[in-house]
Amino acid sequence: MTTLALYSNKGGVGKTAAAVNLSYLAAQAGSRTLICDLDPQSSATYYFRVKPKLKSGAKQFIKGGKQVDKSIKGTDYDNLDLLPADFSHRKLDVTFNELKRSKHRLTRILDPLKNKYDLIILDCPVTISILAENIFNAVDYTLVPLIPTTLSVRTHRQLLSFCKKNKYDVSNIYSFFSMVDKRKKMHRELMAAVLNEFKGILQSAIPYLSQIERMGIQREPVAAFLPKSVASKSYQNLWQNIRETILSKTTI
Amino acid sequence: MRPTLQFSFPDGYDEQQLMSDLADHYSTKKERFVSESMAIYDTFDWRLFNKSLVLYESGNKLVLRKLFESTIIHSAEITAPPVFIWDFPDSELKEQLAPIIKMRALLKLAEVYSRATPYRILNHNEKTVARLIYEEIRSSPDKHIPALATYLWLKPVKGYPRYSQNLSKRLKEAGFTASKKEDIYFEALRVADKKPGNYSTKLNIHLDPDMPSDEATKVILRFLLHVIRINEAHIEKDLDTEFVHDFRVAIRRTRSALGQIKNVFPAETTDRFRKGFAFVGKISNQLRDLDVYLLNEVNYKAMLPAVLRDNIDTLFDYLREKRSTAFQEVISGLDSRKYKRILQNWDVFLNEPRQASPTVANADLPIIDLARKRIYKKYRRTVKDGNLILKDTKDEMLHLLRIECKKLRYLLEFFSSLFPRKKVNVLIEQLKKLQDNLGDFNDFCVQEEYLLKIAEELPATDQQSKKTLVAIGSLIGTLDREKQAAKDAFAKTFTDYASPANKTSFRKLFTSK
Ligand SMILES: Nc1ncnc2c1ncn2[C@@H]1O[C@H](COP(=O)(O)OP(=O)(O)OP(=O)(O)O)[C@@H](O)[C@H]1O
Ligand SMILES: [Mg+2]
Repeated sequence: MTTLALYSNKGGVGKTAAAVNLSYLAAQAGSRTLICDLDPQSSATYYFRVKPKLKSGAKQFIKGGKQVDKSIKGTDYDNLDLLPADFSHRKLDVTFNELKRSKHRLTRILDPLKNKYDLIILDCPVTISILAENIFNAVDYTLVPLIPTTLSVRTHRQLLSFCKKNKYDVSNIYSFFSMVDKRKKMHRELMAAVLNEFKGILQSAIPYLSQIERMGIQREPVAAFLPKSVASKSYQNLWQNIRETILSKTTI
Repeated sequence: MRPTLQFSFPDGYDEQQLMSDLADHYSTKKERFVSESMAIYDTFDWRLFNKSLVLYESGNKLVLRKLFESTIIHSAEITAPPVFIWDFPDSELKEQLAPIIKMRALLKLAEVYSRATPYRILNHNEKTVARLIYEEIRSSPDKHIPALATYLWLKPVKGYPRYSQNLSKRLKEAGFTASKKEDIYFEALRVADKKPGNYSTKLNIHLDPDMPSDEATKVILRFLLHVIRINEAHIEKDLDTEFVHDFRVAIRRTRSALGQIKNVFPAETTDRFRKGFAFVGKISNQLRDLDVYLLNEVNYKAMLPAVLRDNIDTLFDYLREKRSTAFQEVISGLDSRKYKRILQNWDVFLNEPRQASPTVANADLPIIDLARKRIYKKYRRTVKDGNLILKDTKDEMLHLLRIECKKLRYLLEFFSSLFPRKKVNVLIEQLKKLQDNLGDFNDFCVQEEYLLKIAEELPATDQQSKKTLVAIGSLIGTLDREKQAAKDAFAKTFTDYASPANKTSFRKLFTSK
């Protein structure tokens, strides 16, 4: 059993696109997979055509326990379930903060689900506060999409120093290049520099592709509606890469 | 999640009509059909069926499920059709099946072909909220022949219970029935002309207590002849070792019946057939001995210290060679005129009409009386012999007691239908424990002797065969210790067997008040 967060402290970098496609590919390969949409904007939930609402209600979700299971929906794909987002997620930070062991609330929520799945993938909203700490505490690994731009790299630096300061093991944080345009000189140069600066950068990158944008219209993972496309291939490579370099350390 | 439901179609209702009826209420999406073949396997004596298990091969997978259930217990990938359990890939499937199948070969009993068309039921977001699968099962991949069965499967999607509840309700209203006690297994086997459970090593004999003894004895013997014939027909194919084994057991039981159910046939007849069956039994003696050693190969290896383990291979190669000669001898034995004549005469004798007034002493006696007399006498004999052994344990006496116990066991089995089943079974269980102990002792003795004999036979000129001799020596050492252990366990086992309570049970059941 492994938990993996698609996380970034920057918006619009391709977290959701990656979370949706990677969970689909894992499920197709036979792993019982759950994707948890923690973002009140509920994009992942939307992609799977599910209503963004927790059946158990927000209160039960915060409490954790058996009730959470009742909110889980089967997706259109074998082995893949979804824990939908809820509008109340916008207040997760505040709510967690008011509770005891406020940095371990998410761990408590996910724990009862762990024996039912081989892999749990979290699609996270942009955050660097108490919710972020909940995520780092709850998951085995964090995966950060990195757009090769100066600002993106700067944000990543901030993230790493935040983690070091708060004693989170940065060796469990991996990143991959997202929305890469190889024709842009700046992208190429930045990627080379980043590879020098940071550890844990995965080999496979996700290029900038309009096929991926089409997911919003199709409401399906691109790996499902265009299985042979370049987009699909690049997520497959990424997934393969994650399995070899990260998940080979645990069993999935 | 709620389990998958299986429905049977109402008469005259087909896939098209169903889908057009559903279209009034749901939007659906048809997907590409999936074709699969399913080959069903079991042993000749239905070991899996007797445990309500279904083993089938589909694609490159071997799958185990319970009869009447579709949930898969275990599955494993295979590269060749399954035959023996030791050829299975290491898996949970193997672990579960090994103690059931043991040394028996798996036979392909039937093959059926499924063609399944999935339909998605969609909500207003075109999200799948339930699945229907229309499945046709045929005895050939040709989709134009009529289906053996058509099923509709309803698979709920987690988190959308209401859709499947409504669908299920609608289907039932349309005349669909949830098929419960039905399994394609039976239909597939019926078409292949196979009858599950139609062969068993158990004696399935029903006697009427008032039957004259000669008639009743013939009922027993006819049953045994049937078993002999069934197994004889399969020996030639050499599928596994147990056809010969079951064949031999039926012959031994026949000989025992001829000897133990006394004075029911004319003495001359009994003598003639006893001699005949003594000959018939001998035909396969050597083959069976060798089979036993070869089946025990793993156990023998385990008895050896690691340094000697590989050196025993020479012995088993030698035994395997001997086995193929012994097997050919059995084949020609079964093909011999003498064998055929004995069995032919036996068949004629068993099916002859009964003589009006037989002159033999016990022929007219109601079988229940003879059964009681013989069983009780034999029981007393085993107790007497055992008591002598308790005073002074001699190897030959243990052997004799083993033979007496076997005779008693056969008598109890021949006549079990005449007595309350449960009570007889308790006695048999008790007797079995003693037999196991005596059987172990005998096996170790025989093996020890056999290995000594083989050691003399083995050409021992090179280094390798000298090492083999050392390994055999080590085996004999272990066997000797095991033998002693069995001997030591005798006193306790026998005392249980000859306990006052057990004695009373025998007296109550088998002496007329
Ligand atoms: N590799 C790509 N090529 C082209 N477009 C992409 C790519 N990845 C994502 N997009 C598009 O960019 C937008 C943002 O992507 P996505 O929602 O995956 O990012 P995010 O990090 O989850 O954003 P947010 O922070 O809002 O949750 C979406 O419209 C998506 O379709
Ligand atoms: Mg997102």
